[in-house]
Amino acid sequence: MIELQHVSKRYRVGPEELEVLRGIDLTIRAGEFVSIMGPSGSGKSTLMHILGCLDTPTTGTYTLRGRAVQMLSSTELAQLRNQQIGFVFQNFQLLPRMSALRNVELPLVYAGVQSRLRRERAEALLAQMGLQDRIHHLPNELSGGQKQRVAIARALANEPAILLADEPTGALDSVTGQDIMQLFRSLNDTGVTVVVITHDANVASVADRIVFLQDGQVTDDSQQSGGSQR
Amino acid sequence: MSAGEMLLSALTSLRANLLRSSLTMLGIFIGVASIIAIVAIGKGGQTAIVSTIESQRVQNTIQIIPSELVAPGLPQPGQILQFSQSDFDLARTFPGVQNVYYTLYGTATIQTPTKSLSISVDGGPSYLNEIGHFAVVSGRMYTQADVIAHRRVVLINQSLAQKLFGAQNPIGQVVSIGGVPLQVIGVTQSTQVNFLSAVYGSDTAYMPATTCADLFPNWGITEMDIQTYPGVNKAQLSKRIVLALNIHDHQAGAFEDSSGFLLGIEKTVGTVTRILTLVIGAIAGIALLVGGIGVMNIMLVSVTERTQEIGIRMSLGATRKAILLQFLVESVMITLIGGGCGIGLGVLVAAIVHWLSGLPAAVSWWAVAGSFVFSGVIGVLCGLYPANKAARLNPIDALRYE
Ligand SMILES: Nc1ncnc2c1ncn2[C@@H]1O[C@H](COP(=O)(O)OP(=O)(O)OP(=O)(O)O)[C@@H](O)[C@H]1O
Ligand SMILES: [Mg+2]
Repeated sequence: MIELQHVSKRYRVGPEELEVLRGIDLTIRAGEFVSIMGPSGSGKSTLMHILGCLDTPTTGTYTLRGRAVQMLSSTELAQLRNQQIGFVFQNFQLLPRMSALRNVELPLVYAGVQSRLRRERAEALLAQMGLQDRIHHLPNELSGGQKQRVAIARALANEPAILLADEPTGALDSVTGQDIMQLFRSLNDTGVTVVVITHDANVASVADRIVFLQDGQVTDDSQQSGGSQR
Repeated sequence: MSAGEMLLSALTSLRANLLRSSLTMLGIFIGVASIIAIVAIGKGGQTAIVSTIESQRVQNTIQIIPSELVAPGLPQPGQILQFSQSDFDLARTFPGVQNVYYTLYGTATIQTPTKSLSISVDGGPSYLNEIGHFAVVSGRMYTQADVIAHRRVVLINQSLAQKLFGAQNPIGQVVSIGGVPLQVIGVTQSTQVNFLSAVYGSDTAYMPATTCADLFPNWGITEMDIQTYPGVNKAQLSKRIVLALNIHDHQAGAFEDSSGFLLGIEKTVGTVTRILTLVIGAIAGIALLVGGIGVMNIMLVSVTERTQEIGIRMSLGATRKAILLQFLVESVMITLIGGGCGIGLGVLVAAIVHWLSGLPAAVSWWAVAGSFVFSGVIGVLCGLYPANKAARLNPIDALRYE
């Protein structure tokens, strides 16, 4: 499903060239549940942005569901992000002037879903996240954990094939964090490919596979024995 | 994304910055309002002047005047400047002519033992009231017999009567005009309803043409009014009489039909008001242009401010086209709302001008439709660059923008 070949990402910062990702080879099959771990600044978010078709590798190729992402037009990429990928950002990235409900509706708006259906779906998702009595709140009227759950509901709006989550438990206490991971677990059971970035080994252990990233390189890639909660 | 959806979302984001959006609209608003009002007032002025000129024409009447002077006050050597009595006798012989009369006018001093005022004096036939736009409100009009007998009778208008005699009954009083005593036999009131009546509706005395000619022998007859029978071809008759008069006075082109002269004035008035409207309209157009630049500026600021929002929208599947449209709709909405309100104000200003001055300042539908469409076009033109800038952003760069 996801195939990275010799992917590297370089940034120019002043006169120097910074190599954030160095020749990453990574294959994630459909239906996998993968955790990515690594120290801060190791390039996890950068990798995730490439996986989510928000960024492009400097060199190397990224193949998603058999299609070379570099070859796609901006419209095709937009459709891909809309239909195939659900992205939970490290800092939520909710639209500040829109209610939780409107935020969750947004991917459905761009998918062209009719407004009544859209609203029903968004309400159902927020209810599933336990936010049924917060749907009209603006992001700044929500706690960190609530914002995170709105962001997750939004990522799931179009029933993506792949869910990419950058530190989804970072703002939560360990119990709530475990709840979120259990939610991802059950999503994974329905066939969704899940990739989660975390620095918490407990959280990572819920996944089937843990990939370690260090200094822009994969240093360890180990299959968990069926995941801790199975 | 449906059209209604886009309108709603644009409206929401305009409302989020209400003050800024309103101030941006102001430029377009003022520009459109002034264009609407100027065009309406210009058109109204033209209509008023033309209709005033038109109203001077009397039905079933041909008016013949000495040909126009080459330049104001500069007759050609030997140019005929007035009619003689034999010209009138000649005109009377044409079939289809019911009556030929002349009117005299000028200014003179009217005196009573206690007062002395400068007034206009009109001398004419016994039916002067029908062609001179006034009605006799008390007393009587002078008769054909009065005209033939050169009787020293006079009618004065209401405000003049008020000034001369106050509450006293003016009928039967004697006044002196040009040093000659005349008896007041009637009081008149203007029936002129156009706005110019206020300008030249000064105090006037009306008297038989013959009396007037006696009083002011040097006023010269500069108008020949020919009453025709109904159904007579006026244009043809006028041509024949003018030709005969020119031959009679041995001067080609000595006289002409005054309708040509009036048409000339109408044309000049039309040209002048059109040029004025155009010039002032161009200034208003510049105001509109400045307003458009303001819209562009604000849209650029808005795109920069909302870079992160653009990134989020892109990450959720917004295509470049969707982002482009989003900002374009916002900019068009600013100019359309501004333009719409401007039309409202323009119509209001035109109505107020109409109400205050009586000028028929009517807003034409094409000015309304034209400025509405034009506002929209400005919105598109000024929104295109900022919207395109937004649409070309790279998702991750936009998301990372702080
Ligand atoms: N646009 C950019 N320009 C220059 N350097 C960048 C840019 N984006 C990221 N970097 C650098 O790339 C490195 C990796 O960043 P990244 O956000 O991927 O780290 P991370 O592993 O997600 O860290 P954390 O766990 O703290 O979120 C950092 O050192 C960062 O400074
Ligand atoms: Mg990160």
